[in-house]
Amino acid sequence: MIEFRGITKTFAGVTALDGVSFSVGRGECHGLMGENGAGKSTCGKVLAGIYRPDAGAILIDGVEQHFSSPADSRAVGIGMVHQELAFCPDLSVAENLCMGSYPRRILGLMINRAEMGRRAEKLLGSIGVNLDVRQNMRSLSTAQEQLVQIASAVGTGARILVFDEPTSSLAEPDAQNLFTLIQNLRTRGVTMIYVSHRMPEVFRLCDRVTVLRDGKYVGTLDRAAATPDEVVRMMIGRSIEAYFPQHLSGTAGKVLLSVRNLSSPGKFRDVNFDLRAGEIVGFAGLVGAGRSEIAKAVFGLDGRASGAVEMEGEPLQLGDVREAMRRGIALVPEDRKRQGLVLMMGGRENFSLAMLRRFCRFGILDRRSERAKAGEFFDKLRVKTSSLEAPVAAMSGGNQQKVAVAKWLGRNAKLLIVDEPTRGVDVGAKAAIHALIDDLARQGIGIMLISSELPELLNLSTRILVMREGRMAGELRRDEVNQDRVLRLMAGVDESGGAAA
Amino acid sequence: MPQMKTDTSLEQTAVSAQAIPRRRGLPRVQELGLVIVILIMGLGLSIFGYVAARPGEDNTFLNAGNLIDQVATPMSYYAIMAVGMTLVIISGGIDISVGSIMALSAFTGARVLQYMPVNAPAWQVLPVAFAVPMGVGLLCGLINGGLVVGLRLHPFIVTLGTLSIFRGITVVTTKFQELPPADRRIPLAFTDHFMRMEAWGHRPMPMVVMLVIAAIGWFYLSQTVGGREIYALGGNEEAARFSGLRTNWIKLRVYAVAGLTAGIAGMVWLGRFGGASTADATGYELTVVAAAVVGGGSLSGGRGTALGALLGTLIIAMIQDGIIALKWKVEYQLIIVGGAIVLAAAIDNFSEYLRQRRLAGAKASV
Repeated sequence: MIEFRGITKTFAGVTALDGVSFSVGRGECHGLMGENGAGKSTCGKVLAGIYRPDAGAILIDGVEQHFSSPADSRAVGIGMVHQELAFCPDLSVAENLCMGSYPRRILGLMINRAEMGRRAEKLLGSIGVNLDVRQNMRSLSTAQEQLVQIASAVGTGARILVFDEPTSSLAEPDAQNLFTLIQNLRTRGVTMIYVSHRMPEVFRLCDRVTVLRDGKYVGTLDRAAATPDEVVRMMIGRSIEAYFPQHLSGTAGKVLLSVRNLSSPGKFRDVNFDLRAGEIVGFAGLVGAGRSEIAKAVFGLDGRASGAVEMEGEPLQLGDVREAMRRGIALVPEDRKRQGLVLMMGGRENFSLAMLRRFCRFGILDRRSERAKAGEFFDKLRVKTSSLEAPVAAMSGGNQQKVAVAKWLGRNAKLLIVDEPTRGVDVGAKAAIHALIDDLARQGIGIMLISSELPELLNLSTRILVMREGRMAGELRRDEVNQDRVLRLMAGVDESGGAAA
Repeated sequence: MPQMKTDTSLEQTAVSAQAIPRRRGLPRVQELGLVIVILIMGLGLSIFGYVAARPGEDNTFLNAGNLIDQVATPMSYYAIMAVGMTLVIISGGIDISVGSIMALSAFTGARVLQYMPVNAPAWQVLPVAFAVPMGVGLLCGLINGGLVVGLRLHPFIVTLGTLSIFRGITVVTTKFQELPPADRRIPLAFTDHFMRMEAWGHRPMPMVVMLVIAAIGWFYLSQTVGGREIYALGGNEEAARFSGLRTNWIKLRVYAVAGLTAGIAGMVWLGRFGGASTADATGYELTVVAAAVVGGGSLSGGRGTALGALLGTLIIAMIQDGIIALKWKVEYQLIIVGGAIVLAAAIDNFSEYLRQRRLAGAKASV
């Protein structure tokens, strides 16, 4: 019924999908799996007309389709249930459901509210949901919003539904309701593509599972043939060691950072770990497992964090960035464009931003020493830029990341937290950043490495801490670590192959 | 696989061709553009002034009397406030209460000074004449900043409120509409002997104050840590926070400075006219914002200079002077100044678009 033929999609030079071809049968619930960044969401969004593929075609019932907008794909009966909300929160449920085709009265000037309410109730009723359609979208829970999304898709006659990580923000009972609804829809002949990295639910719902890896199609399994082991193998299945040098772990020094019972409401709970000088401690977990949140809490950016954190044996006051910085903690944040750099400023100005006081006398900047220091560190890290003054917006992703690192190295950080250091960075720059991290650890800097790329974690880290849903799910030493075990801990699948509770 | 032994990489780069050029920067085209516009307008007005002058008399535009008394002096209040406004705009905020602050400062100054003897000596008068309006302005600015930071409100809303509040305070705290009343006078040491002081047949003091404020603003913004922090805040507040900058303190500071400059403008006004009325400076905030934007300030934050603020005000002042010189109806100046604002914003937008394209090109070639 649905056929993907050689779909390729790149974003600003980064390939998200690379010649993906597979087909989905009528009335099937088809699971789409892969690691973070494997391209599974992108694949769903191409089908829903949100992204236009650079190459390849989508065939629906044997007819080639070119969607240039979500409206095009809706016209042939494709609906998408998004991870994020796509509604107007201050309009009522009924208004949202009828958007674009409001029932009118009196020469088409007035909205027929009664009719609108009836229509909305009918839509919700068609999937067995009962809600007050007059309340504002904002007052709904995430699960209810999702139901409205589904109702709006099914109600507009969708024969194909794409679910993008539908359970990522649902509590367990709501998830169970959703599963029941999905099974009902399937008996009504709706074809579904279910994007998720959660194995238990995919096995429960889907007839077949397709696995993507690095934007490429790996294979499709029938439910009977699909075992967690097999899927995990397909999701990883590469000998990445060829690309990444193994970190030659130096000797770990004394304890640098000690975290006890660190909690932040709604983000993570009871986190405990130690980090020694010269160690690279990797943090693995799915997006939203609480890794970046821990990094922010340690760096003093989370005012609600509680717990005991010690830096070099002395207690660290939480919620105060400047205190964290004084004590030698540095954070290279996950989103360098939004959090790490001031894009319109030059490299020199970005470099000195976290240590302006060191380049001044009586508040007056000493540009000469600022320039000299920035140049020294940019050379050291081999930042490629036309000049120290050129805005960092003009630099490539890898060079921007180097600037974001340089600004903390210039402060002589003792503990460097790097969050997704190679996201959106090309292969060459990636290797350079890995070598840099490795080298810093060898110089005795403690490194807290957060990454969604397993190979990166496995090859750089002395130890890996795995997080799941805001809690520590386990710790793996270097000699016992392999991708399979990390992935199982991340996804909550136990060693025997079944789904953990 | 580049191995990065830090100790060796320094030596390597000493000979490597990749070492980054230290000095070259992008030219600052913003102010250059303003200067060109001013020169063209000045040339046009000078030619007209040459033609319009009666034989044997000075060029009606290009003479010290016109430039100081008709251009520089009336623009001084705007320019002084535009410097403060530029700080706010660079930080990503806006302050539309400056006109009311200026009026409140001038009026409060008049209330205090009217009780001093007319011939009180300068050493008694001047400190009071400086401190009262500037203190009032600073206080108002701190209130604005405190509300923006403390209540996390949008600065437009806050200063829209205080625009009305400060004006209201000026009106309700007095039964007069103008101060000083007919039987009193502001001490001459501040008015005739200071702000209206004559030098070579002109009264350049407002212009001098304006130039001093612009110079201080330039120094602060381009040479100090505090200035750099404002650019960082406006350029990317999140990144500033992640770099350990005290963003709240920086915000409080820029609104305080904007209030202070409005206080200084009020002081100049009071000294020049020897009095103040409750309706003074009504609507000035629009011209001040316009001047800052024409001068290259970006309302989305991160860009702007003190020199730009001065030049932006000068452009508006020249338009106004030109309209009078050409004997057009004064009402046209509203349309022309408004058009200039839109034009400046459009040019700014376009140059930003070109810059982005150039950046994309540079990125592709690196």
